[in-house]
Amino acid sequence: MKLFGKRPDAALAARLALLGGELLAARCDGAAPPAGTAVLVVGADGRTRRATGVSVTTGKGEAAWCWHPGPYAIEIVPFAAAPETGLRIECVIVADEASVEQHRFELFLASEVTARADAVPLPAFAALVQGAVRGALDGGTLELPPCTVLEEWHAFRAGVNELLYTRFGLIVTDCLPVDLGDSVDFAALLRARALALEAVVGPEPETAAPVPAPMAPPDDAAALRRLFLELPALAAQLRVLPLPDGAFAAHRDLLQRMALVSVQVDTMPALALVAPGQALDAARQRGRTSAAIAAVGALDEGWRVLAAMKQSGFAQLTDEVDRVVANLECHVAARRAIPQDYPERREPTL
Amino acid sequence: MNETSRPSAASCRTVLADGRSATVTATRRPRANRADVKCAVPGAPQVADRMIEVVRLARLTEHRFDSRDQVVLSFDTVPAPQERDWELAAVLADRLVRGAWHCPTVPLALGWSDAWQLGRVDGHDSVAPGTDGKVLLGGEQLPHLGALTGHADPAAAVSAVRAWFPLHSGGINDTLGWVEVSVFPLDAPGQEEEDTIAVPGADAVLQQAVRAALAGARHFDGRGLGRWRSVVRFSETRFQGDSYQLALVMADRLARGRDFVPRGRLVATGTSTAWHAGTVATVEGCAAKAELILQEAARGDRVLLPAAWREQLPAGYEMALRARGASLACIARIGLI
Repeated sequence: MKLFGKRPDAALAARLALLGGELLAARCDGAAPPAGTAVLVVGADGRTRRATGVSVTTGKGEAAWCWHPGPYAIEIVPFAAAPETGLRIECVIVADEASVEQHRFELFLASEVTARADAVPLPAFAALVQGAVRGALDGGTLELPPCTVLEEWHAFRAGVNELLYTRFGLIVTDCLPVDLGDSVDFAALLRARALALEAVVGPEPETAAPVPAPMAPPDDAAALRRLFLELPALAAQLRVLPLPDGAFAAHRDLLQRMALVSVQVDTMPALALVAPGQALDAARQRGRTSAAIAAVGALDEGWRVLAAMKQSGFAQLTDEVDRVVANLECHVAARRAIPQDYPERREPTL
Repeated sequence: MNETSRPSAASCRTVLADGRSATVTATRRPRANRADVKCAVPGAPQVADRMIEVVRLARLTEHRFDSRDQVVLSFDTVPAPQERDWELAAVLADRLVRGAWHCPTVPLALGWSDAWQLGRVDGHDSVAPGTDGKVLLGGEQLPHLGALTGHADPAAAVSAVRAWFPLHSGGINDTLGWVEVSVFPLDAPGQEEEDTIAVPGADAVLQQAVRAALAGARHFDGRGLGRWRSVVRFSETRFQGDSYQLALVMADRLARGRDFVPRGRLVATGTSTAWHAGTVATVEGCAAKAELILQEAARGDRVLLPAAWREQLPAGYEMALRARGASLACIARIGLI
C-alpha cells in the first residue's frame, strides 16, 4: 500500500537486482520490473493476470510478482539416506507470453507462495524440487537404483523432465549425478546424531518436557489455498490425457470424484468452528490441520502420477490415480469432520 | 500395484511368554468408510487397543498410504496384558497383507518397541527354542523396521546397510544370505584402512578377503579412505568362494551414503580382480543362482549380476523379474552410472 506516492525503495531495488540468480521471483508492487522478467499479478482469490508495460499497477488485494526465466542450477539430494550423492539440475522456467492458458509456474506462484513472502529464493525452491523428486522415487513413479545402466538413466531423465514440467513448469536442460562430498560430510552428520543421542541418554531427563513446537508451524489456510487452486488445474490436465479404448468410464468416474473433492474444498468449514458461534477444541483443530496437510500430500502425489501418466499412458496407472483420489476424499472428509462424526468407542466386531 | 502381489490374508507367528505359539492373522477388505484398522482379541480389549495403536504408529514410517483398504487383525491366543513381544508380529502381518513387505513363508517374529513411529524395534523378551536362524528377533538382529529391506536407520548414529547374495549349495538348501556393513566415523585417522575393518566371527582368510575388498573399493570411491570404522557381519560365514564381494562392496557404498538407494533389497552376486578399479568379474553357478534370485525377488528389489552373465541368463529372465517388481542390471563396473 502506497500512501505517499512513489519513493525509491532500497530493499525492493536490491531484491529486483538479485532476480535470475539468487531469486526466482520477487514482489514488485509499483516498481518498474527489470528487463527480461515477466510480471504476474496475483489476486487475493488466486486469480492471475499477466501485466506488461513500464510500471505495474495493482488493485486492492493484488500482489505483483516478477519472475526471471533463468537458467538456474539446482543441487538436490535424491535420497535422504545417501547425503553425499546428489543430482545437479539445470533448468529454465517456461516463459511463453503468447500462450493464453496459465503456465504451471504461474499457478505455483499463486498457490504455493504465501502472500506474506516477498521473494522466492533459489534454495527454498530447490528444497521443493528435492521433495518432489524424493516423493516420486519413494512412490515408485521414478526409478533410480544403484548401478544405474544407461537405459534406466534415460528413463529416469525423461521422468524427471516430465515431473518438473508438470509440477513446477520447469524445462530441465541438464541433469547429472554429482558427488556432494565437498559440501556434505556424512561422517560429521553421524557424529552429530551420536552426540544428540548421548545428550538424551546422558543427563537424567528431569521433567516430562513439553512437546517442542515444530520450526515452522504448518498452516491450514495455506494447505486449503493450494487445494482450492490446484485441484481444478490437476483435473483439467487429467481430462486432456489421451485415453485408450475402454478407459472412458474409469476416466469419467475419476473426474467426477475429483470434482466432488473440489466442491468439498470450496465449501470447507472454518478451522475453529463446529457450527456458527460454536468453537472447536484445540485438539480437534490440530486434527483438522493435519488432515488438510495430508490432503496436500495426496495432491502432490496426484501431480507425480499425472507426470508418470503423460509418459506411460492412462491405463498403466489407473489403480494409482484411483488410490490418490481416494486418499484425497479421505483426508478432505477428515478436515470437514465435526465431533458428532466420531461415535463413542464400541467393542470391535468382525 | 497389481492385485496379484497383495494377498487378501496373511499371518505372522509369535511365541508368548509361557511358550505357547500364537498367530496374528490379518485380512484386507474394502474400507467402505470404516476405520482403517480393526483388531479382535477375544476377551482382551486392552490388548486389541494396544494392537491398533502399534499398527497405526508403525504405518507412519511408510511412504505409501492407501485409504481404500481396511485391515482386520486377530489373535488366536490371548496374551497376558503385560506381554509385548507380539507387537512385531502384528506390525509384520499388517505389512504383509498390504503388500508393503514380502516373505515367502509365514514368519516367526518376536519384538517390542517404545517408538514404533520411528520404526525402531527396541528388543525382545523371550526366546523361541529350536528356531535359530528362522526367527525375526527385535533388538540386535532387527533394530529397525527398515532393516527388513536392508536400509539404514535414519535416526541411528551407526549407518548399517544389508545386501543379499545367493548361497548355492546344490539344491534344497539354496538360500539368500546377507552381509551387513556398519560404519561409524573414525576418531583417529592415519591408520591403515584394513585395520579399521572388523569381521567378527569370521576366520582369518575370510577376514583378510573382506578387508582387501573393502579397502580396494574405498580407494576406487575417492572419498572412502581414512574416514570410517567398519564392522562387517554375515548371516552365515560357512561358505566358500568370493561371490559375496559385490554385495559387500555395494552395502559399504550404501552405508557410507555414496550410492543411489534401492527401494527394496539389494541382491547381488559378483566378484572382482581389481576392486580399486571398480571392475566386476564373473562368478560360477549362473543358472542355479539366477533361479534362486528369481524365486526370492520381491517388489522394489534391485538385482545386480556380472556383465558376463547377460548371455547366459535364460530367455525372458529380465521380464520375469520385472513382473515381480524387481529390476535387473548386468554390470561390468560399479559407480553411479
